[in-house]
Amino acid sequence: MPAGGCGWPPACAAGAGMRDSENRVETDIIKVDNLHKSFGKLHVLKGISLTVGRGEIISVIGPSGSGKSTLLRCLNHLETADKGSISFEGEYIADIDADGNSVYKKNREVLAICSRLGMVFQNFNLFPHKTALENLMEAPLTVKNEDRRSAEQNALSLLAKVGLSEKRDSYPGQLSGGQQQRVAIARALAMSPEIMLFDEPTSALDPELIGEVLHVIKQLAEEDMTMIIVTHEMAFAREISDRIIFMDDGMIIADSPPDGIFVNPEHPRIRQFLSKILQRDD
Amino acid sequence: MDFDYLLSITEFILKGTGVTLKIYAVTLVFSIPLGIVCAFGKISRFGPVRALLGAYTWVFRGTPLLLQLFFFYYGLSALTHGAVQFDALFAAYVAFVINYAAYFTEIFRAGIQSINKGQYEAAKALGMNSWQTMKRIVLPQAIKTVLPPMGNEAITLIKDTALCSIITVTEIMRNAQVTVSRDVRVEGLMIAAIIYLCFTFVIIQVFRLLEKKFAYYKN
Repeated sequence: MPAGGCGWPPACAAGAGMRDSENRVETDIIKVDNLHKSFGKLHVLKGISLTVGRGEIISVIGPSGSGKSTLLRCLNHLETADKGSISFEGEYIADIDADGNSVYKKNREVLAICSRLGMVFQNFNLFPHKTALENLMEAPLTVKNEDRRSAEQNALSLLAKVGLSEKRDSYPGQLSGGQQQRVAIARALAMSPEIMLFDEPTSALDPELIGEVLHVIKQLAEEDMTMIIVTHEMAFAREISDRIIFMDDGMIIADSPPDGIFVNPEHPRIRQFLSKILQRDD
Repeated sequence: MDFDYLLSITEFILKGTGVTLKIYAVTLVFSIPLGIVCAFGKISRFGPVRALLGAYTWVFRGTPLLLQLFFFYYGLSALTHGAVQFDALFAAYVAFVINYAAYFTEIFRAGIQSINKGQYEAAKALGMNSWQTMKRIVLPQAIKTVLPPMGNEAITLIKDTALCSIITVTEIMRNAQVTVSRDVRVEGLMIAAIIYLCFTFVIIQVFRLLEKKFAYYKN
């Protein structure tokens, strides 16, 4: 792969690759090539390559410690990759030098690109000193310099969308986990992202609150929002996803439509993982 | 009970109130901003800055305030052969501001660092830069965290001003001592105690209100 950001060979386009009249791939949102990431001596990502097409819904599954969250966090620069490239809509966030090491753009430019990716965290990470409404308005006001009235209107309609209109003036501490996560999803949506990243969005929730959050994600799926979801909810992943990525030990060992993973998977690691999960669910 | 005597010494001791409050106000007004700036330095990426500030807070929290008062009043003058001679009140200002800023540095540093990493990540994921994150997300929450230790410092400070009496600053304690040694009576000390208690009562109430104001949300 050449070091310069000279566009991608169309052959690289996976997913549902429609091309416009200029013959440029328009539908790929994210392209990751040979991504490596270590924490000290721990080699967490060992050469991840991935293309995400517009409108695609991808679930990332696999055992804990397989690098799922790290991959997601590299995509919007919450972690800095060591090697490999990441591009967003054809624009390199991280390019590679001659040795394959990641070379990031200037911080300001990376930040501008990453504000177009919405992120939902396992622990919500709402701003506790701001009301639900203020949480939604914060970034549009400070990052996009939207005027207050339109930011508020947009925030209110998003709160309505996640079913929390009546909680507009509540602080996160006054909300249940499920409600907090729905506000967090709405907060990410308030920036009109082109893709939503979910990092185990239901893992910190009590079982009875998981459904309401999954419901909101399903709603987004119906609106053709592009999404990457790291999750342990297998039935949900199978139902909602166009593609399932199975990660193990820092590598993608399968990338296929759900049936390829859940129906008679060939790979023994996948079989092993699924049988453990299914046992737990019984 | 000699009521006229009590009235006369009360009047005399209260004359020191202005100076006590001056030291109090000057110390807070200058040491809080200085402490905030130093706190940022202490969490900065620059090793030498961190080391320098570490030495600063160690020296000024690690030696008696009284010793520092002596240093700025007598010591500096002796070291410079009289070239630098602060008057007593100014020496008190300098010693108190530098000493309290050292404490505030540590309080603010701890306050800023107490904010969960997830808050920074959420802000960054939304595209906020570090200045916006600090100003709109971290500092407003850190204020709530630092209020109780700030309240402690604010109470300690009003009592510490009494140390200035030893370098001849005519504040409350100095005037009380004057009545004690002049009249060989101890009522002056009681009057001083009551005045200090009144001040600390006010300070406690102020911080109670502040904490209440910031209790509108849970962390």
